[in-house]
Amino acid sequence: MQKFENKLFTDSDARIWTKTTILLGMGIYLTVLILSGNLINYINIRFAWLVYVGAGLFFVLGLVSLYAVMTQPKKADTSYHFQSENGNAITWGILAIVAIPLILAAIIPSRPLGAEAVSGGISLKSVGIDSATAFTRNPLDRNILDWIRTFANSNTPAEFNNQPVDVIGFVYREPNFLPEEFMVARFTMSCCVADASAIGLPVTFDGSSDLTDGVWVRVQGELKADDFDETFVPVIVATSIDVVEQPEQPYLYP
Amino acid sequence: MQLQANPSRPTSAPFKVMGYGLIALFIIAIICYQTIRSGVDVSTTINIFTTRFLSIFIEAVPFLVLGSIVSGLIEIYVKSEDILRWMPKNPLGAAIGGTFFGLVFPVCECGVVPVARRLFTKGLPIPMGISFLLAAPFMNPIVFASTYIAFGFGPVLIGRFVITAIVAIVVGIIIGVFGKPEEVLRAQSMNTLDNLCQPTVPLNNKFLRVLQLAGDEFFEMGRFLVLGCILASAMQTLIPQNSLLALGTGQITSVIFLQIVAFILSVCSTVDSFLALSFVNTFTTGSIISFLSFGPMVDIKSTLMFSGVFKRKTVFYLVILPFAMNLLAGVVINVLMGY
Repeated sequence: MQKFENKLFTDSDARIWTKTTILLGMGIYLTVLILSGNLINYINIRFAWLVYVGAGLFFVLGLVSLYAVMTQPKKADTSYHFQSENGNAITWGILAIVAIPLILAAIIPSRPLGAEAVSGGISLKSVGIDSATAFTRNPLDRNILDWIRTFANSNTPAEFNNQPVDVIGFVYREPNFLPEEFMVARFTMSCCVADASAIGLPVTFDGSSDLTDGVWVRVQGELKADDFDETFVPVIVATSIDVVEQPEQPYLYP
Repeated sequence: MQLQANPSRPTSAPFKVMGYGLIALFIIAIICYQTIRSGVDVSTTINIFTTRFLSIFIEAVPFLVLGSIVSGLIEIYVKSEDILRWMPKNPLGAAIGGTFFGLVFPVCECGVVPVARRLFTKGLPIPMGISFLLAAPFMNPIVFASTYIAFGFGPVLIGRFVITAIVAIVVGIIIGVFGKPEEVLRAQSMNTLDNLCQPTVPLNNKFLRVLQLAGDEFFEMGRFLVLGCILASAMQTLIPQNSLLALGTGQITSVIFLQIVAFILSVCSTVDSFLALSFVNTFTTGSIISFLSFGPMVDIKSTLMFSGVFKRKTVFYLVILPFAMNLLAGVVINVLMGY
């Protein structure tokens, strides 16, 4: 990092520089998240402004810290104490812990939750606010969440027979699914990944065994009420399945 | 119940090392468990864990920085004498004042801890600080709005308000009356001597000093946020959410389960109403209200942040008392509503 031949560069100086670096690093990391678009892997885009504010504040705090350390006279007798205001030094341990998010962000590639993150099965239940738009929307424009909400308001799965479906999601399977069965699934997110839960629609397609778990697909077909995994639900009878790129917004927002 | 002085030094190195070591072991255990259980390779599990961890951290950290800046402002601009002059002296008045302090001082659960800690160093009465800490994450206009948007004006909004107020006031009084400040607070949270206040490299400009103190405060509290996020995301990776959700329809069990879910998820109070909506079809009303009133008071990350302010014993009571009281309230609501 910084190179100091000065003998007066003490352990305390090193910690102040590290502290400044972490503050600026947080600002840079949040900025990179915004610019790269990776932010939508982590939080509901509705709350992106929070991260803008956070990034700005980190730069301010980092620059003030930088200013403080640069303007500090470097004389042996002004041995200021690197202490926080309550007399408790900010130790290497504290610095190391606060640096963990930056380290993880740097070494682990950013990815949204996918099929592997589904634990404990996929919900066929509706989540979030029931939006009236889900039912007035043209069936072909409905996403997985819209469909699940539509189903939640009906007691007769057969009511939707022959309606056309065109949805995008990732492939998810459970061990007891038949070879031609899978679910086309998405994660919904109200706030951040902490509240993410997986939802999905059952699909039957003869060639579906070629699809690996977690791959993103566009499923087109028609609904038909049928037994799927021992429940009588609307099932997509797929006419075509295309492997597609992961959508720009991997999550659905209830 | 008595809160005794904790004889051990507040920061004993072996304890810390052990704590961090346990967390590290815990996470390794989770990764192994996940790998064996699901056959998913380790790198995928690490990836999922990292996504969850960064997500909670990114969502929470702007609030923590804002809270740190407020803490810096208080340090520089609020005088201890003002606090001592204006604050109610009797525990009940102090607890009630603290409960509704958030209305004029809106902070969420990540921001409230540094603010409360700073106010304690200025001599804020214990009952007031405790009630403020517990109630403020809900008792503010932003969270009222989000709860109203999600549930409208009805039993959930009213119940959340009433229960939060009651629990905050009662816990504030209990801890305030039965514990002396030096028994409740860690030493660093209660020095009122100004000569102990030594900023990193004191800047002369007052406003720059605010920001400088805020930077230090961020590190003081940030470590607990990071550790809390690690625990919360590790728990989420370990315990399948749906398996918990599947368990709760009983009058009592549903409340217990949703409170545990609230504790583990550590979702910010500004948005937990939207999350709670997804439980409406499956869970009892009492459990939803308890989820919403308990979650903002106590969760994994705030518990860890509490430990930077309070002695260990107080932290324990700060978790257990709200848990028990919210549980009781949730069950009573369920009984009254005939579940």
